[in-house]
Amino acid sequence: MPFVNPKESPATEHDERKRLRDCASLELQLTDPSPAARRWAAKDLANCPGATSALVAQLQNEPERSVRAVILTSLTELGDDEAIAGMVACLRSEDAAIRNEAIETMKLLPNQVSPIMANLLDDPDPDVRIFTVNILESLRSQNVEEWLKTVILHDDHVNVCAAAVDLLGEVATSASREALQGLKERFPDEPFIAFAADVALKRIDTP
Amino acid sequence: MKRILIVDDAATLRLYYRTILEGAGYHVVEAINGVEAMEKTLQAPFDLYIVDINMPMQDGYGFVRELRGRDVSQAPAMMISTESAANDRSRAYAAGANIYLVKPVKPDELLANCRLLLGEAHQ
Repeated sequence: MPFVNPKESPATEHDERKRLRDCASLELQLTDPSPAARRWAAKDLANCPGATSALVAQLQNEPERSVRAVILTSLTELGDDEAIAGMVACLRSEDAAIRNEAIETMKLLPNQVSPIMANLLDDPDPDVRIFTVNILESLRSQNVEEWLKTVILHDDHVNVCAAAVDLLGEVATSASREALQGLKERFPDEPFIAFAADVALKRIDTP
Repeated sequence: MKRILIVDDAATLRLYYRTILEGAGYHVVEAINGVEAMEKTLQAPFDLYIVDINMPMQDGYGFVRELRGRDVSQAPAMMISTESAANDRSRAYAAGANIYLVKPVKPDELLANCRLLLGEAHQ
């Protein structure tokens, strides 16, 4: 995903890393007034295993998209539990750009996010459950179809089920046939659910 | 024939909107995010935009804001999202949307709002 927006404070030769590059100094530079300095600090902190907290804290407050992109890339490289938790927190952001950037980054971490998918699909916030279904799209886990089936069998929120059935349209096998039929019966007054379930059923019948 | 651009990353939703709109006689083009939508807009203008909010690369707010801010198109924009909170609605209008609908959208609701935005509501 091309996170860097060329309209935002482009890196120049003045961006050279002329400040202290030890991990403690880099963490301080994450809040520098200069976006270029913050971007370089975020980039270099990928080599500092203890920097996750500082990167996560700045991610929530960082106004510049290009810097957020670098922070997310560094968190991807660090890839520890706290980094994943920081991205999950972004799913609850009021800012659509931050939410989408977190979703796209989590899609790049299938091994790290797979273990938390089941919990996220039980989150009380339906928007978080929808975003989790969006992330499932990138996972190549054999659990994906089973998770989606669980959603359409049990989730009460129509838009969570709509997101799940949309993805089932791409991954469903005959194992989902009964759940898809059941979904149409659970939401008989929602034309999109019937439409999407039929698309998925048709895919099963004509692989 | 009026041209409508559907901007949504969900394939089945695009197909659902397309089926409804083509059935009503509109010419429909699809884009999977704001970046692709802008490219298609610069190639040929549209009479109406139907835009999801949560999309990769560029979200719906960003696309509509750019559409208006760069004066690329003043054609009406309908934003559709799962989010019903008042601040999402006001953010959509602030970006330049004309109508904000909450998913799931029924065919009659979609067509009525399209006709309204296209000035065909009397027909």
